[in-house]
Amino acid sequence: MKKGKKTLELKFERVIPAPPGEVFDGWLDPKTPGTPWNENDDLILQPKKGGLFYWLIRGTSHYGRFTKVQRPAVIQNSWMSRYTEGEESMVTVTFRKKGKDTLMRLVHTGLPNNQSGMAHQAGWNYFLDKLTQTFSGGSPRSVKEPKDWRKRK
Amino acid sequence: MDQLTDVLAAISHPTRRAIIDQLSKGPARFLDVAKPFDTALNSVTKHLKLLERAGLIERRKQGREVLISLKGKPLQEVAGWVHEYERFWNENLDKFERHFRDKKEKKERKK
Repeated sequence: MKKGKKTLELKFERVIPAPPGEVFDGWLDPKTPGTPWNENDDLILQPKKGGLFYWLIRGTSHYGRFTKVQRPAVIQNSWMSRYTEGEESMVTVTFRKKGKDTLMRLVHTGLPNNQSGMAHQAGWNYFLDKLTQTFSGGSPRSVKEPKDWRKRK
Repeated sequence: MDQLTDVLAAISHPTRRAIIDQLSKGPARFLDVAKPFDTALNSVTKHLKLLERAGLIERRKQGREVLISLKGKPLQEVAGWVHEYERFWNENLDKFERHFRDKKEKKERKK
């Protein structure tokens, strides 16, 4: 990713009812439903630091390299597809013990985005919610505008 | 610049988002569009030019007046682009979580 280029970051969280080690292993096992590699038309997966992956699904190729594979805490890999417009985005998955369960966080950074302020995901969610409502015939007034918008004028 | 870049640039500014918001309620005359903003008319004109270049608005003459209206298609394309990843990860993580919940339930039933 070019220095200074505006990028989009997406964050997701799930509580998985299993210990971190088991969840970590599940994420790297293509047999586990819900992993990116589970459904594929072709797959090469080398889940170790410096290892590569190639994943083909419905005509779209995805490539990447594993930059961190630290059981049971973190898996990080770069991610390229036609949706990253030739740029190397980064997916970081962390696993933290939460009682008997695991708090799993997935952060996808470096997604191409040429629009300044797009990293303000709250703003995006607000906008897209509004948009969805507008085009689905609902009232766009029901979505609350984030407070920081006015400050950024 | 491609259209997606133009659209993203166009919606990056709160004033332009507010204009889009306003126009989503229906076409409006220039002065009506400019009215809510505490800014020079010249500045509003510049914002409208950017929105027009991105294909987000169009101007059409109606009698002696020029009406500005919103064109939704480019916005839907942007929404689709952003949702590509949101949908992808959300769907996958839901499946992943479900898999472990099912596994746990099976284990508990066996006990």
